Amino acid sequence: MMFVPIILFFIIFKYVPMFGAIIAFKKYNFADGILHSPWVGLDNFKLLFSTPTTLQIIRNTLVISLLSIFVSFPFPIMLAIMLNEVRRMWFKRIVQTLVYLPHFFSWIIVSGIVVTVFSQQNGLISGIWESVTGHTYPFLYREGSWLAIFVGSGIWKEAGFSAIIYLAALSSIDPTLYEAASMDGASRWKQIWHVTLPGLRITIVLMLILAMGRVMEVGFDQVYMLQNSTVSNISEVISTYIYKIGLMGSQFSLTAAMGLFESMVSLILVLIANAIARRYGNGLW
Amino acid sequence: MKPSRGERIYSIAVYIVLSIAGLLCLLPLVHIASLSISSMQAVASGHVTIYPVGLSFDAYKQLFEGTPIMKSFMNSIWITVFGVLFSMVFTILAAYPLTRSYFFGRRTYTFGIVFTMLFGGGLIPTYLTIRSLELINTYWALWLPGLVSVFNLLVLRTFIENIPNEVDEASRIDGCGEWRYLLQIVLPLSTPVLATLGLFYGVGYWNSFFNVLMFINDSGKFNLAVLVQQLIQSQMLLSQMNASGSSEQIVLSPEMVNAAAIIVMVLPMMAVYPFLQKHFVKGVMIGAVKG
Repeated sequence: MMFVPIILFFIIFKYVPMFGAIIAFKKYNFADGILHSPWVGLDNFKLLFSTPTTLQIIRNTLVISLLSIFVSFPFPIMLAIMLNEVRRMWFKRIVQTLVYLPHFFSWIIVSGIVVTVFSQQNGLISGIWESVTGHTYPFLYREGSWLAIFVGSGIWKEAGFSAIIYLAALSSIDPTLYEAASMDGASRWKQIWHVTLPGLRITIVLMLILAMGRVMEVGFDQVYMLQNSTVSNISEVISTYIYKIGLMGSQFSLTAAMGLFESMVSLILVLIANAIARRYGNGLW
Repeated sequence: MKPSRGERIYSIAVYIVLSIAGLLCLLPLVHIASLSISSMQAVASGHVTIYPVGLSFDAYKQLFEGTPIMKSFMNSIWITVFGVLFSMVFTILAAYPLTRSYFFGRRTYTFGIVFTMLFGGGLIPTYLTIRSLELINTYWALWLPGLVSVFNLLVLRTFIENIPNEVDEASRIDGCGEWRYLLQIVLPLSTPVLATLGLFYGVGYWNSFFNVLMFINDSGKFNLAVLVQQLIQSQMLLSQMNASGSSEQIVLSPEMVNAAAIIVMVLPMMAVYPFLQKHFVKGVMIGAVKG
């Protein structure tokens, strides 16, 4: 009985929109609504893959997210391994409290901090840069440094929190393995390499699978907040494009096609990643 | 066994790197806080680093008098309190039946729910659905689509599943009904994970930005996130203008007002964070063990 509202919720807010995605194959207009707008087959998709702008946006999305995933991936692992080595509990607790904190800030706050710190006139970093090199640098208005700031701010926000999962995995490694290794004369580095990392393997694979599912989606908030017209060539991604052109510009069908394409690719990537992982015995399902 | 020289250097290095990581997370915030309570001259000349120079609360004065921040602060609280309430109730109602072995069709339902995590209709169809339900410009548009987070649901389900079956059997024999078992036995046993989920939902609603931008058009209903975003965006425009040379003298440095706004938005979260921190690590781990 208590489950009825839940079923209703998932149908109305998850499955109805899924069904609504058929407007990607239609020419949507307000008068006819989702059901009665005329079918146009794959026209929206053809348009999507023949327009340079949309192609560039898909490419931007891939570049930004692959860069973020692979650059930021090792940080939580290193953090967790280091935290695991700490024997003084008070120190460990303080560091954990601090590094988990940024996760709870919204991108509005993080990018507010970024914009302030990198501001060309009197931002903190710009000030340091100026005193070292003697001239200012528009960090947020050059494509290279913008990308670096984008990826860096992602690491700053999430690395600590993602480390929790690896810490959990580390705590389940049998301590006798370390004792045995150190009896056999393995150095700390050797122990990390031969005991810790293999112990983390399952978690690492799992996190990679989950990351694969997010390749096509670059979080809207982060891009929307950090981008500016000077770097829009590389910073416009699928989610911001759907918002600007689709919602603001009422191009519902074209951007729904883009959204559907995004969802399909994500789903396929997750399935492929899982299939590969399963071959090595670590599948998610 | 006495640690060797190499081991000592190693562990010192670990402590140093971790200290730096911790400071890196804290210092930007301290910098912003200092900016917001420093005097204008000190900010303009770039003297403010991690401690305030020339104490002054002008930025806050300007923020509270010149922008509708009080209004959006109250809106944020409203959205968060009711959002958490609704989400918690429905997450519990969703998770509990999925753990009952006699609940017919639970595997099908679980699959149907998890599938929405892997595949969704996308932004535009969701927007059109909300619009056809005439929820635009109401907070229901924020509360309903995100009512149950699948991830949180799975975390809670896993936790309830781990309550030993004997507890269930014993209370049944004592004549305990379904609702009573849920309310008086399951929920009290799940307090740590419920606290975690409450925190996650709360943070989500407090930080919600895109949904507000998308579904709320009336500026009187904006929450803090959107207001702060507008302040920051206008600062970017200003500094872009200045960078391109066509500069006009800005009267009160916008960084300071923004810094103050950021602090106003962060403070409530900082206030509850220490109390919930010990819980959420546990919660995340439960979710990680069996996702």
